[in-house]
Amino acid sequence: MKTMTESGSLVFIVDDDDSVRRALTRLVRSAGYRVKTFDSARAFLDRGHDEDCPACVVLDIQMPDISGLELQRELDAAMPVIFITGHGDIAMTVGAMKAGATDFLPKPVRDIDLLRAIDQALERSVHLHAIQFELEAIHLRLERLTPREREVMALIVTGRLNKQVASELGTAEKTIKAHRARVMAKMEVSSLAQLVRVADKIGVSAPAGADAAH
Amino acid sequence: MSIVMCAVVALETAVILWWLLRLIHPRAVGASGIPGADARASHAGRLPTGRLRAVVPASVLLRRSYSVASHPTGMQRSRTDVDRGARSAPGDASIEDVLELLPMPALTLGEHGIIVTANAQTANLFGYVRDELPGTPFTKLVPEPGLDGRAQPPRADRASCPESRRAMAMRELSARRKDGSEFRVELGLSTLRAAGADTTLAVIVDRTDRCELHRNRLDLAHLARVSTMGQLAASLAHELNQPLTAILSNVQAAQRFMAGDPVDLDEVREILGDIVKDDYRASEVIRRIRAVVKKGDLEVVPLDLAGVIRDVFFLVRSDAIVRATRIELDIDRDLPPVRGDRVQLQQVLLNLLLNAFDAMSGVPPADRVVKLTLEPDSPDRVRIAVRDRGHGLTTDKLDKIFKPFVTSKPQGLGLGLSICQSIVDMHRGRLWAENNTDRGATFYVVLPAGSVA
Repeated sequence: MKTMTESGSLVFIVDDDDSVRRALTRLVRSAGYRVKTFDSARAFLDRGHDEDCPACVVLDIQMPDISGLELQRELDAAMPVIFITGHGDIAMTVGAMKAGATDFLPKPVRDIDLLRAIDQALERSVHLHAIQFELEAIHLRLERLTPREREVMALIVTGRLNKQVASELGTAEKTIKAHRARVMAKMEVSSLAQLVRVADKIGVSAPAGADAAH
Repeated sequence: MSIVMCAVVALETAVILWWLLRLIHPRAVGASGIPGADARASHAGRLPTGRLRAVVPASVLLRRSYSVASHPTGMQRSRTDVDRGARSAPGDASIEDVLELLPMPALTLGEHGIIVTANAQTANLFGYVRDELPGTPFTKLVPEPGLDGRAQPPRADRASCPESRRAMAMRELSARRKDGSEFRVELGLSTLRAAGADTTLAVIVDRTDRCELHRNRLDLAHLARVSTMGQLAASLAHELNQPLTAILSNVQAAQRFMAGDPVDLDEVREILGDIVKDDYRASEVIRRIRAVVKKGDLEVVPLDLAGVIRDVFFLVRSDAIVRATRIELDIDRDLPPVRGDRVQLQQVLLNLLLNAFDAMSGVPPADRVVKLTLEPDSPDRVRIAVRDRGHGLTTDKLDKIFKPFVTSKPQGLGLGLSICQSIVDMHRGRLWAENNTDRGATFYVVLPAGSVA
């Protein structure tokens, strides 16, 4: 999938075995990807800046300092992980998959298997990035709201009418109507349905006893 | 060995008693002493006829040794000699009677290593019929008895009294039965000088059982080594897998580079160089495995102990990673020279290391460290220490664990440490365990410099 390589995606390769690391790096580079290598999980985690392109990490699951599984936990699903292993332990596989690994490949790893896994991981990375980007945008918009507007928003997404919101908050219906308009504008939505979806994405919920009965 | 010593003491006692008897009863020992026909006849009285003709010269020699008959050599005998060398009376014990009493093969040899007499035990052990033996060269039974050119073993002191004979030195040799089969024996030779002539006394102890015991011990050690390698199988498979992985990826990368336009030959050359290195790496793993499972006799050579430790380290490295255990090595380069069997000493170290891993299986991973030290213990001794941070051993266990069939593992046979003990013993070293002051235990192996198994 050439798009992945063209868009400047990045593949991290982490293996404490020098010759395996070198060989895998060559292989992935020969397929056109950008590669960065580390000889330990710790070194990888300490790498510094965040990538602003799709990225994934190819990782040996059994390394001396911290295990691949521990690393996956620390990454916390922020980056897709492809595990490779010389040990072929089934319990380990299940653990890794449950923790959300994209793939789990036994050594020796064939080029087609590894490259396919990398492609899938990078697509997922793009997807994760997109989601991340959207969430950040929503949060920025949310910050535009005043505290009162936020209160109003939390109530109107439950389906309450302006009248009900007004009585709950102890103001005039006319005021609520004005707040509502400003919320819609600041949140850049044009319908209640859209607002609800946005609210769900960032987890804005009404106070307890929420949804208005109609 | 103790059976032999008892037999030799018994024999010497018998010989001394026999001489004493001659003093007391000059006629008690030996025959009438008339050479020729009579001698032949009396000799015939003791042994079945068979090859008597060929035997005659030897039997005459025997007569000369033990009787008061005139010596064809014409040597004059002194009065004391006559008294001592005395007449024998029929019915009294002769040298042949004494030999028959011994529980092992015993023979007397005459000139040129020809058998003069042989007891029944000799015939039994070697598969001969009794009368086949006199007149046979001794080398037919023991091909290389170490008799010198004159077919006589070296004698310490011709002037020494018969009674002050030193005990025979026994040597382990190969012997051959009548059917041609070979077996191990211990042979003792001693010359008896009597009345101016030399007769060689040969005593043989069958050592087949000891050989078998030794072989059993070697077989058991081999089995233990194979079993250990079985435990390491998964880790070793991983060790081999690493170079295989590198080789595959390198080759597939090279194939892509070759399909490029233009072909990046420098990259391909680099790849090929790496593939060769990885192949060597894989064959090193195989070599190390083979070195452990090798079966064979002890091979005592000057040892590179640092190299032995290094090989063991590489063998257990993957296993250590799986068990989240770290190994620290502290090797002193300046060591007194030690000789020994590399395979066996490697087995000891392997065993101690794996035990250390086991000892720490219940310990949090951050604390799992094994420290392996190799240093001089004194100008002529080397000390190896394997230190773990487990739970240590109870004081009664410190000794017991080296006994066979003592184990704390559910699947264990409990033989590992007892085999290690016997290996270290064979190297004239010491193996023991001590609890550490902080936590865990340390196993020590001390080997003398220039030690020989």
